[in-house]
Amino acid sequence: MAALRDEDFAALQILLKAPSKDAVRQLCQECFSSPPAALGPLAQRACPGLAVSSQEAEQLVSALHNLTRHVVYRGFTSAEDILCLFPENFHQNLKNLLTKIILENTSAWRNEAQASQISLPRLVDMDWRVDIKTSSDSIARMAVPTCLLQLKIQEDAALCGNNPVVSALTVELSKETLDTMLEGLGRIRDQLSAVANK
Amino acid sequence: VYSGALKRNLSSEQVRADFIALGLSEEKASYFAEQWKVNSPTLTRLAVGQTLMINQLIDMEWKFGVTAGSSELEKVGSIFLQLKLVIKKGSQLENVYVELTLPQFYSFLHEMERVKTSLESFS
Repeated sequence: MAALRDEDFAALQILLKAPSKDAVRQLCQECFSSPPAALGPLAQRACPGLAVSSQEAEQLVSALHNLTRHVVYRGFTSAEDILCLFPENFHQNLKNLLTKIILENTSAWRNEAQASQISLPRLVDMDWRVDIKTSSDSIARMAVPTCLLQLKIQEDAALCGNNPVVSALTVELSKETLDTMLEGLGRIRDQLSAVANK
Repeated sequence: VYSGALKRNLSSEQVRADFIALGLSEEKASYFAEQWKVNSPTLTRLAVGQTLMINQLIDMEWKFGVTAGSSELEKVGSIFLQLKLVIKKGSQLENVYVELTLPQFYSFLHEMERVKTSLESFS
């Protein structure tokens, strides 16, 4: 994450023109959550409220995005750490307001960042049912229980943007396969407890 | 004759009658009927093994570790579990990769144990 530059702090002072503290809070949240590509449109929307040119709005939005992301990246939890980021001559009240807003939101933002980080496809849901196979084309009568497991898997959230693709995969397991799988899962559980107890 | 017998769930008497109808001598028909009686459990097991399975799970591999950091968060420290499921789709094998959080893993384990209980009660 790039450190903040002087131009960024200069742009932040535009917030002094904001109509209210809530407006500033709202803008901070939108700037953090927005990906870099969506900052342009966000700046356009912010323009009228701040009575600034669109170029100044873009600089502000970009600076706010960088500031909030930087704080979340470094994992700052105390006011001092955040206050230290600002230059000496920065407007005191604005600095305090921004620090306060950031501290309020930092843990929610951290969760948001973790939820959207790259990963393999994630499991979102699972269902199962047990069927009894009674006959087939090669054997007239039998009573073989079998398990159908349906896994709902969501593709990487970062790749899909706002429309995550969820696919359903149905897998059939015989009793033997299930026993082997449970053995494997049991070993995972044992290893997890060993790691947790260290 | 044997696969027809499996399909129609015939007794050894009926198998013997079938062989005689096909022209075998009584002695040979009785011999084959005896063989059927002795081997039918094995043949049945083999036939069951060939029964249609949809997306059969062939193998499962896993790894778990800790996410140390990311481009959004310098220090993370969260545990992830990744499963690779090898599935037979028709005649091809397909690999499916899934990531689970710890709570999801424990819930998955719990559900699979319930499935095992259910399967056992039907065997």
